[in-house]
Amino acid sequence: MPVKQVMRVLKRNGDSEPVDVNKIVKAVELWVADLDEVDPLRVATRTISGLYDGATTAELDKLSIQTAAELTGEEPQYSKLAARLLAAFVDKEVRGQGVASFSQSIRYAHQQGLVGDSTAEFVARNARKLDVAIDPSGDLRFEYFGLRTVADRYLLRHPDTRLVVETPQYWLLRVACGLSQTANEAIGFYKLMSSLAYLPSSPTLFNSGTRHTQMSSCFLVDSPKDELDSIYERYHQVAKLSKFSGGIGISWSRVRGRGALIRGTNGRSNGIVPFLKTLDAGVAAVNQGGRRKGAACVYLEPWHPDIEEFLDLRDNTGEDSRRTHNLNLANWIPDEFMRRVEADGDWSLIDPSDAPELPDLFGDEFDLAYRAAEKNAVKTVKARDLYGRMMRTLAQTGNGWMTFKDPSNRLSNQTGRPGNTIHLSNLCTEILEVNTNDETAVCNLGSINLGAHLRDGDVDWEKLRATVRTAVVFLDRVIDINYYPAEQAAASNPRWRPVGLGLMGLQDAFFTLGLPFDSAAAKELSTRVQEDIYLTALEASAGLAEQFGPHPAYQETRASDGALHPDLWGATVSQTERWATLKERVATTGLRNSLLIAIAPTATIASIAGCYECIEPQVSNLFKRETMSGEFLQINTYLVRELKARGLWTAPVREQIRRAEGSVQGITELPADVRELFRTAWELPQKALIDLAAARAAFIDQSQSLNLFMSVPTIGKVSSMYLYAWKAGLKTTYYLRSRPATRIQQATVAVLPALTPAPQAEADAEALACSLENPESCEACQ
Amino acid sequence: MTTIPSQSTGPGKQQMLLDPGMDLTLRPMRYPHFFDRFKDAIKNTWTVEEVDLHGDLADLAKLSPAEQHLVSRLVAFFATGDTIVANNLVLNLYQHVNSPEGRLYLSRQLFEEAVHVQFYLNLLDTYVPDLAERTAAFSAVENIPSIARKAEFCFKWIDSIYEMRSLQTREDRRAFLLNVICFAACIEGLFFYGAFAYVYFLRSRGVLQGLASGTNWVFRDESMHMAFAFDVVDTVRAEEPGLFDAEMAQQVRDMLAEAVECEVQFAADLLDQGISGMSLPDMREYLQHVADRRLAVLGIEPMYGSGNPFAFMELQDVQELSNFFERRVSAYQVGVTGSVSFDDDF
Repeated sequence: MPVKQVMRVLKRNGDSEPVDVNKIVKAVELWVADLDEVDPLRVATRTISGLYDGATTAELDKLSIQTAAELTGEEPQYSKLAARLLAAFVDKEVRGQGVASFSQSIRYAHQQGLVGDSTAEFVARNARKLDVAIDPSGDLRFEYFGLRTVADRYLLRHPDTRLVVETPQYWLLRVACGLSQTANEAIGFYKLMSSLAYLPSSPTLFNSGTRHTQMSSCFLVDSPKDELDSIYERYHQVAKLSKFSGGIGISWSRVRGRGALIRGTNGRSNGIVPFLKTLDAGVAAVNQGGRRKGAACVYLEPWHPDIEEFLDLRDNTGEDSRRTHNLNLANWIPDEFMRRVEADGDWSLIDPSDAPELPDLFGDEFDLAYRAAEKNAVKTVKARDLYGRMMRTLAQTGNGWMTFKDPSNRLSNQTGRPGNTIHLSNLCTEILEVNTNDETAVCNLGSINLGAHLRDGDVDWEKLRATVRTAVVFLDRVIDINYYPAEQAAASNPRWRPVGLGLMGLQDAFFTLGLPFDSAAAKELSTRVQEDIYLTALEASAGLAEQFGPHPAYQETRASDGALHPDLWGATVSQTERWATLKERVATTGLRNSLLIAIAPTATIASIAGCYECIEPQVSNLFKRETMSGEFLQINTYLVRELKARGLWTAPVREQIRRAEGSVQGITELPADVRELFRTAWELPQKALIDLAAARAAFIDQSQSLNLFMSVPTIGKVSSMYLYAWKAGLKTTYYLRSRPATRIQQATVAVLPALTPAPQAEADAEALACSLENPESCEACQ
Repeated sequence: MTTIPSQSTGPGKQQMLLDPGMDLTLRPMRYPHFFDRFKDAIKNTWTVEEVDLHGDLADLAKLSPAEQHLVSRLVAFFATGDTIVANNLVLNLYQHVNSPEGRLYLSRQLFEEAVHVQFYLNLLDTYVPDLAERTAAFSAVENIPSIARKAEFCFKWIDSIYEMRSLQTREDRRAFLLNVICFAACIEGLFFYGAFAYVYFLRSRGVLQGLASGTNWVFRDESMHMAFAFDVVDTVRAEEPGLFDAEMAQQVRDMLAEAVECEVQFAADLLDQGISGMSLPDMREYLQHVADRRLAVLGIEPMYGSGNPFAFMELQDVQELSNFFERRVSAYQVGVTGSVSFDDDF
């Protein structure tokens, strides 16, 4: 649209000048050498159209970044352009404070009290070597959403001015230096992260090299004892852990239920709900340094008398004093419960004060103790009724995750001796570690970007192994350098030294290799990748044990008895010789880490790396991400490439995809095999997701954050699905994702042909049920 | 109100939606699509307590004076907007939509409007701690000219059929249709969609997430209200072809043109101090674009031929994916049905 005559901008020095479209074009042209689809003039004119008279040049710069980002839906290259304009903006901000090199940035941040002494000294000692290691082209690899997230939340900021004091590449090198002993080691680790082939988890990316080096993601807190002091101690512990970016899993199974006698006062207990309400408020009050909200998940075993009220905690109706809007909920389910569900048997609710041993038992011992305690049951329900309630909670809130106590314990390296029990999983259901009243389990995580480990239509196995070896060393390193916000955490981690090496970008690999998510080849590849990662990680851990000795609790592990994780599953391995060699080695050296693998959800780091999350299928070919940084359009670049190759990346096709909310099933010009490849999570059979997870599970010694997807859940479907998941042997599952029953009317896709004749009374009842009750799954209407 | 059973209709004459009376007969159901809308609405029940506003306060302090002005005008509009819609529903729509299943939906809509009023009440109580300022915000319809102008427009259309106790003549029914169209196309469909754009503009910049998430749910409801109202219009048009003629189409065009001007003068007030990324010409173009869409739904040629200039509005048309560490996921359903079974497909 035409620009009005006298639009002016205010420069940083206070002068004003007319807006010059050519100047903006030139600024954009600096970055488009490899972006042939970008039109700099378009960015410039659109930027000016949104501007007001008298805006500042900083506003102009920000608006041009935003404008470029908003064109992503038409052409994905604009995302790269926006990222580069943002990198230039950040660079200007850093240089404006007199920082011209990595070592200067560290010195400056140290003066501001941001960087820790040891890292500052390390960098000062190796300044020259580190400064030249910075890869100036590193920022070109970021997509906009990733870099925006980095700039808004990961880069260190001046405490008063709030200006960023490091560039994205300085940040990654700072993280590496915080974990390194030599400059070469730091540079190697930096290069790996800068290539986006591997990233440690957010707490490490936030805090490595700083004054508070809390770098662990997950804490697993045992249930408070059945007494007031212990409950309040747990609130305190949770607050401390939360403050430094940790996600909390906490069990509540030991605390007596509503109506149980309190001997000290001869009163009756109000049950666990009022205590959880307090926990809820506590978690909301702690915000993790302003970077994200605190988060916790409460685990409860289904024999607890308050289980039914527990399942209502996330409902959005009912008495608010009995609702917890911030807590996540998970069921910690013994096999005995699932067996009774299947057999349509009764299920006894038992007060923990009558059977305090139950949380510490699993397998046959649990079954016996539970059956013995049933004679004192508080209440008896039909197992299927309770299971149905669990399913309803999952379908209505996505919460109330199904995690399985027996396989979690039976198939764990840590539970080889009596008294070592896994009592719960963590906030994201991928960590399974033993804990006690005095030991809070800790895990630090990192994830490999599989999409960055492909070559010539296959996985680049050597590169993958090299990444695993580096990753294990640095995950292990965190254990010693870590700042532990609570003494219970400091007590556990050095004994067991567990780490969680994960995977992301599985969907990227499948797209690149042309494998539909539910194909046999996809399952085969995902299993082979996981076997190789686990095997290499064990080799690396054995190598560390040779150097530093096995972890102190090694003699309590199943590995010390000669059984590695695939043996517990009775799984068939493909690389038999490597496994045999490894076993011999472990027999003599032991392992440095009791656990090595956990597949975390990677919500944020996958964004930074620009890949799909963990082991998940894509949610949509076109969707938006909502985060604290704003909203971001995400488009499937693999699909765009495919459509462009066929000359189909046209405005009408884009409109069709938008109208169908990111589905391409209705684009009949695409051949069936392409449509099959680009199905979304909503369009895939969920059985396939479960089967893939079960197939790789023998090579995951902790667990995986497995989301399941169902557009329009019914109790029947959901209950069938979770029974299948349990029978498949999964240790844990995560959210049940569903979609809203109604939606905001689309504002930017064309209105469909006007005035469809009003449906006649009672005619077409079937078609109506389809379009109105099932807006998401009815292809005919999309 | 007295309950007057519908006049019995002879076998030759089919009963119509706007026939005067208080039909009580749900079976056989004449308009099952209204009933389906009622059921769908229930699945999306949300409550004000679910919206977390605590992060917004920090954001408000960070906003520029120009942005603060925008937000304060916007919430002042919200303070009364939904109440006006609720009043028209009770005073006009419920009375004349003579179908028990249609009235079920309207009852549900009334509940939703009440939740919206409660949400914005809670929002203002949180955003505006000063009692005098808060009182001023709630009386915006009287003392803020740009809002008073919009309110006047609404009252004019409420009053247009307020005296009518039943729709006896063709002219009555035409007046009623214009009222329905006004509230669907101009008030919920344009005034609220204007407000929608400001909120989403702010959200695309990463501020006021609490306002955005609550408003998101409000608009999800409003979209359904609008769809229901247009469904009523379509139904009446199908039952009485010729009622909606060229003259009426012209009246609708005039009404929308006036609404666009009302909303543009409101935008001129909001954007008065300069907002980077949201210029007044762009806002005018957006409102014209929305008005054209409303005409299209009614089968009327577009008046403006304007496109959507706001890329951030395109974000509203695609699925959301929240990082649960950061945002409460809003995509769940209530009222899930069925019973436990082990052999369903999934």
